[in-house]
Amino acid sequence: MDILVLLGSFTLLCALGVPVAYALGLAAILAALYVDIPLEAVMLKISDGTDDFALLAIPFFVLAGAIMAEGGMAARLINLAKLFVGFIRGGMAVVNVLASTLFGCISGSSVADTSAIGSVMIPQMVKQGYPRVFATNVTICGSVQALMIPPSHNAVIYSIAAGGTVSVAHLFLAGVFPGLLFGLCLIGLVLWTSHRRQFPVSERVALRQVPKIVLDALWGLVTVFIIMGGILSGVFTATESAAVACVYAFLVTFLVYRDYKWRDLPHLVHRVVKTVAMVMMLIGFSVGFGYMMAIMQIPAKVTYFFLGISENKYVFLLLVNILLLLLGTFMDLAPMLLICTPIFMPVILKLGIDPVHFGIVMILNLGIGLITPPVGPTLFVGCAIGKVTMEQVSKELWPFYGAMCLALLLVTYVPALSLWLPGLTK
Amino acid sequence: MRLRAQYQRAMEALYIACIVLSGAALVAITLIIPLGVFMRYAMNSPLSWPEPAAVVMMVMFSFLGGAAIYRANVHIAVEALLNAVPPAVRRAMLWGVDACMAATALFMLGYGVQLCHLTWYNTMAEFPALHVGIVYMPIPIAGFLTLLFIIEKVWLGPPPKTSLMYSDQAAGLE
Repeated sequence: MDILVLLGSFTLLCALGVPVAYALGLAAILAALYVDIPLEAVMLKISDGTDDFALLAIPFFVLAGAIMAEGGMAARLINLAKLFVGFIRGGMAVVNVLASTLFGCISGSSVADTSAIGSVMIPQMVKQGYPRVFATNVTICGSVQALMIPPSHNAVIYSIAAGGTVSVAHLFLAGVFPGLLFGLCLIGLVLWTSHRRQFPVSERVALRQVPKIVLDALWGLVTVFIIMGGILSGVFTATESAAVACVYAFLVTFLVYRDYKWRDLPHLVHRVVKTVAMVMMLIGFSVGFGYMMAIMQIPAKVTYFFLGISENKYVFLLLVNILLLLLGTFMDLAPMLLICTPIFMPVILKLGIDPVHFGIVMILNLGIGLITPPVGPTLFVGCAIGKVTMEQVSKELWPFYGAMCLALLLVTYVPALSLWLPGLTK
Repeated sequence: MRLRAQYQRAMEALYIACIVLSGAALVAITLIIPLGVFMRYAMNSPLSWPEPAAVVMMVMFSFLGGAAIYRANVHIAVEALLNAVPPAVRRAMLWGVDACMAATALFMLGYGVQLCHLTWYNTMAEFPALHVGIVYMPIPIAGFLTLLFIIEKVWLGPPPKTSLMYSDQAAGLE
């Protein structure tokens, strides 16, 4: 009954339309009242949830990504991608996916990726004769790579939700190959579609422009080397590397690219504050919710439940993937990570699944949820930028879901894709 | 009518204050953490204060920013059911949402004050003059501000389109 009060009230509050952060807090309060836990303890946990130094990496990564996204980085990465694949049939669609891969190295956010890449790529693709809906679909699906390719602030959220027991550096490294594989699956699909529907071929970039294009893009791509190099060499912590990346992004945007206007900077900070405060409130309240889950022994009970169905880890991973795909259609990525990670953690440890691998599976799975109706923030932004309706996009998204689910299956059942790179650093 | 306009202006001023304070805190921590790295490696003189100072400011921007974004309607919510029901049911549901928000805000206010009171005489090693209670003050303040914003929403409806909160045009990040 106590579990029903906690999870039932949370579900009801969410269904009612209460913001998820507050629904977590209120459900924790109701459960605490029901099982007679002092509310002071819940408040203490909520305050604990927001004063952890490791959390600071989240605002820094969001800020660095925003500065780069709005400072002209996207257009330069698109130019770089055009060098490699722009001239083949369906090349612009491949450029779109590849630009998202490169942009993922600096943003870590699929909405930011859709917004930055889509606003440049969709009009260019439409101008060259690609259907608007196809261009929008390529953009929103390609943007999911940003969630896996380091640096991803969602990896930091997963690490925090796992109680800080999973290394952020290992999660960053683990996301590299799954992110690339995801991109490859999409590239395969768009090439096949382009040949089938005879999409146009673009012109080659003039050779004399190559050095400038490469150099322009490299300024931005250095960010990922600062972050990963700093963390892996032990020079910085993840938080410090993110802060240094912010300063670097600022310097490149204002001293090298010079596309961004100083007067727009307060608006950028305004947007980042909104995003970050939303995530931090979510984390704070989720710690209170997690405390009540621990008191009610929900993770242990979920473990028994799943082990009762099967003790085979592959069956468990399949069940979890189906469950998360379903829940992901209704709920955003960050709250799902914060709620589900502590619940599943004991099960995966019991079944011998590596938490780093599981984290990447969760992030990829819930990333697909960001582009599924009815609740899909990336889908909404993509539709707004592509000037198409959700119905138009949804009808043609099925092949893309197929490609993404193929990537998800491979990442789930080939753990080496996630674990090989972090294994080199152990 | 005048009272309504005055209240809305006051809420706009509070929103701006929250965003300015949160933004200033965000910029400040973005500068002091790299400063700590620079002092550690370049000057060989590690500083002990950037880390705790950043945490103090993080608590501030999390909660003050959290209150402000309630007014801006930025919090993640599942609105699938809200959008599917008839207008009368939707209105009733929105009243329910406001009541739940008010209950949570009251909890933050009441128990936040208690938390500040309990930790008031604790101090941080790096800032002996700073009471830990002060660090947690943004929690009850955010509860109080959220209550004021809820009153604005219930009494006056959504903020006017001229509000600063609509000034950031580009899409946000998830």
